Amino acid sequence: MVARSQRERALDAAVDVVAEKGYAATTVADLTKEAGISRTTFYEMFPDKEACFLAAYDAAADVLARRVAAAFETEAVWPARARAGLEALLGSLADEPAIARLALVDFGAAGPAAQRRYRAALLRMTPLFDEGRDFAPEGRRLPPNTSRMAIGAVVGLIADEIAAGRTEQLPGLLPEILFATLSPYLGPEAATRGVSEER
Amino acid sequence: MPRTPSTNGDASPSRAKELDELIEQEQLPAGRDDLAEPPVAHSQRERLLVAVAKTTAEKGYGATTIGDVCTEAGVSRATFYELFKDKEDCFHAAMELSLADAMGSIVAVYSPDKPWATMVRDAAAAFLELLASRPTFARMAMIEAPASGERAFQLYASGKRVLQSLLERGREDPVEEEAIPTTAARAALAGAESLIVGQILSGNTARLPELLPDIVYITTLPYLGQEEALRQAREAEREHPAADR
Repeated sequence: MVARSQRERALDAAVDVVAEKGYAATTVADLTKEAGISRTTFYEMFPDKEACFLAAYDAAADVLARRVAAAFETEAVWPARARAGLEALLGSLADEPAIARLALVDFGAAGPAAQRRYRAALLRMTPLFDEGRDFAPEGRRLPPNTSRMAIGAVVGLIADEIAAGRTEQLPGLLPEILFATLSPYLGPEAATRGVSEER
Repeated sequence: MPRTPSTNGDASPSRAKELDELIEQEQLPAGRDDLAEPPVAHSQRERLLVAVAKTTAEKGYGATTIGDVCTEAGVSRATFYELFKDKEDCFHAAMELSLADAMGSIVAVYSPDKPWATMVRDAAAAFLELLASRPTFARMAMIEAPASGERAFQLYASGKRVLQSLLERGREDPVEEEAIPTTAARAALAGAESLIVGQILSGNTARLPELLPDIVYITTLPYLGQEEALRQAREAEREHPAADR
């Protein structure tokens, strides 16, 4: 159990130090100091800084994906499901700005392996979006990459806010995020109505 | 449900001039005249720009050294330092060249007489063709640059702002006033960007033009409505059939 908690401390340290210094400037020494573990212990767990960063990224993405999926399941109809899932996503990111930065901004500086992880994490949201295709009257006529683009739009808006230092205000962005989610499937008019509807 | 299609957009002759002004406001480099041709690496400077694009595309910006760039270009280190201050300076110059070409490809199809939706179709087609024909520069500009430091990131961001302003012209079309969020153009571009980046990362840069109907759909949708955006996507498909690409 000791090994596990040291691993967790290392992952938490990766999130905090990278959020503070940026990925490129972070050293293994920073991580061991922040985590309160020895260099030897660090290298028993991770071959290098990148491996620790990727493990921290996977852990953060897992937590986010589980929260979004759980909120999504609390509703029955797709637009309401999407709203609940996105609300949970924005709330989680706002509560933990360091994780938000790691998950959506800093990945890019960590090289191709991190980029592939990042895209794989995003694509985990695909089923949530693909339901929109089944729900939409025009679903079968929509372009093949509609869900990929909708996810890209949502993530792009969120990443811009985080990069601008407005992570804690993310929940206020729900109307714009919801419009970006609903409109590719339902069209802008129906999406505008869906955004203004009370739950 | 469908809105009034954008049949003639804003026919003001000042549009092309406005585009130039936008590019100037963003302080983007001017376009080149030889767009149809890939950059011919005559000078040592050009060879270094091609080489920095190639090595960063292969190894990533962080892992690329000046030695790698010089070896690839067949240029001495001394010459490198006569032309550029450091790796970042060289990369930034290559990025400026790419952006000039990208903006040039859009300026080339931009005409005051064209309806807005036609302009979006033509600009998207030209941009995808350009990326597909220069896979090395595509990877550098779309994947390495945004992550390689503040200056290149700012250059990338200003290119996106020009495209965003072009899209927002869609608002000027005579459609009924809708509560479309002000973020709609930025969101649509982020969707298109994500699709393009995914395609490049998966090694399918040459097939980027196949994404044209998807990209035309997502970028015209907020302003033209779903029915008309689907029609624009079909129109793009018809003008640029996949078989030709």
